[in-house]
Amino acid sequence: MSLVSGPGRAAVAGLPGDMHLFVDKHVRYIQRLDSRKDELEYWLTEHLRLNGLYWGLTALYLLGHPDALPRSGILDFVFSCLHEDGGFGAAPGHDAHMLYTVSGVQILATLDAFGELEDRVKGGRQKIGKFIADLQDPKTGTFAGDEWGEQDTRFLYGALNALSLMGLLDLVDVEKAVQHVHSCANFDGGYGTSPGTESHSGQVFTCVGALTIAGRLDLVNQEKLGAWLSERQLKNGGLNGRPEKKEDVCYSWWVMSSMAMLDKLHWIDGEKLTKFILQCQDPELGGLADRPGDMVDVFHTVFGIAGLSLLKYPGLEEVDPLHATIRHS
Amino acid sequence: MPKFYHDDEAWADIAPLPQDDGGLHPLAAISYSDEYSEAMGYLRAVMAKNEYSDRVLGLTEHIISMNPAHYTVWLYRANTISEIGRPLQDEIAWLNPTALKHMKNYQIWHHRHTIIDALGSADGEAEFISSMLEKDSKNYHVWSYRQWLVKRFDLFDKPEELEWTHSMIESDVRNNSAWNHRYYIVVGGREGKLSVELAKQEIGYTQAAIRKAPQNQSPWNYILGILRAAELPKSTLKDFTCEFADVQRPEEVYSSHALDILADIYAEEENSKENAAKALELLATKYDPIRANYWNYRKGLLDQPNIAA
Repeated sequence: MSLVSGPGRAAVAGLPGDMHLFVDKHVRYIQRLDSRKDELEYWLTEHLRLNGLYWGLTALYLLGHPDALPRSGILDFVFSCLHEDGGFGAAPGHDAHMLYTVSGVQILATLDAFGELEDRVKGGRQKIGKFIADLQDPKTGTFAGDEWGEQDTRFLYGALNALSLMGLLDLVDVEKAVQHVHSCANFDGGYGTSPGTESHSGQVFTCVGALTIAGRLDLVNQEKLGAWLSERQLKNGGLNGRPEKKEDVCYSWWVMSSMAMLDKLHWIDGEKLTKFILQCQDPELGGLADRPGDMVDVFHTVFGIAGLSLLKYPGLEEVDPLHATIRHS
Repeated sequence: MPKFYHDDEAWADIAPLPQDDGGLHPLAAISYSDEYSEAMGYLRAVMAKNEYSDRVLGLTEHIISMNPAHYTVWLYRANTISEIGRPLQDEIAWLNPTALKHMKNYQIWHHRHTIIDALGSADGEAEFISSMLEKDSKNYHVWSYRQWLVKRFDLFDKPEELEWTHSMIESDVRNNSAWNHRYYIVVGGREGKLSVELAKQEIGYTQAAIRKAPQNQSPWNYILGILRAAELPKSTLKDFTCEFADVQRPEEVYSSHALDILADIYAEEENSKENAAKALELLATKYDPIRANYWNYRKGLLDQPNIAA
């Protein structure tokens, strides 16, 4: 799935009175993304290809068009990114890394394709689980992204997310991971990438997600964090990632999914946020941007739509705030 | 000037490997940048034969200049450096301008961590960080890196560190990253309890900053963090918050954050529940209506016995 931005821009002056979600335009936008291989940016974003596929596919499911991309084509691509050691790279020929492995597993879960995984790679699920488990730091409980060793709560959450989707949480030391997340709690109630780093909505999502998976939300100062999260809403309705920063559609997901897990969604003004997200659409060519007037891309498209799903926007499928996937009933 | 390899004698022994797109789509004619495409073809070829050499170093540099987020290239570069024994100072000297060009890239930072850790010296890093923050004073990577340096080289008690943090706050009192860094060096990164003496000094410092811009979340969060670390009650701040908010004069509130803390202080006092309710009411209706549900929730808690909101 291409990460190329554009072609369109979100409407600058806002939409006319009957503002609504342009479902068909967004479906077409996502379907067309992979026909842009003649653009340099398509290749410069190759290192995000598998993430992009997960974002596009999830958006289509939420929009109620799960069949808009060919299932077998998606699976062929996903399996072509799978390495012998059980990790996924961003695209064929790219090294395996936690972030792509999580996207690979999320796609397999969305398509309910773990059976096909076993058909193609014997013991595939266990192999993927082992790749993830081997990236846990036995001393601190956190996770690295790859053999290179960069550590971040993003990787820890990704690991627990993917393992729980595969039913393999018992491969890792969950309690140690929990204690690491707990050590990342900051004085303002939020969480950062590692102990002491600044609170950031994206990292809050990963830490709350990890603790929710582990069943340890009791460790969170839920009122303080809920207050900090609700403080992310600005007068224009949009949400920011840190104090005194600009709003961005993607925080509709990071902030709101965290609030959903804490059962505090009602602490923000949903009507104003809905309006803000809808203003970030390109009403003609489809796609959503970070804020009105900017170029659209698939990343902001899925997280804007996922935010609307949490806000119970009519006609959208229900998103699972914990796994960032479609909620299979 | 584009750089090509097919007519370069130094690369005559390498046949570039073509792109494998995984077969998701039959490929139409690709006309993306010839330069990038060719360089990637040569990278795949040298990786396939595990070549580590000066020319590979140059090739990775070339590709990084076109696409710094390609993590596989960085990984291969790191291995190349260690295999050919490139002096680490040379690598840092190359890395500095590269980082300035690509401010939001993750790979550059991890690469830097690895090199500086192996070098065992933070000399020159403060200057480098300053030049990065001049371009984006809230860059998350830079601040995280600064914290790592403080911890790795134990700079907590170096007076320059606190002075530098002060200068960053002074140049933008709303820079939350700078406040967070201050907390890290004063409390967060250290062992043991914060002394009352140091807490008082920090409270005074923060109060001066709040007076400059009362409607600024960062120092309010900071001051509450300091109180908690020193195990001082919120009521320590009662007179101070009253400078910015008075429930008896609802038209003259200069900081919703002051009102918020005042509500907590009143809630803990005997016979001041009514004032607490008034403060929360003002927040819900006038000073922060977008979060009315949150403030009303807090108001609801007042009716429960022995709450600590």
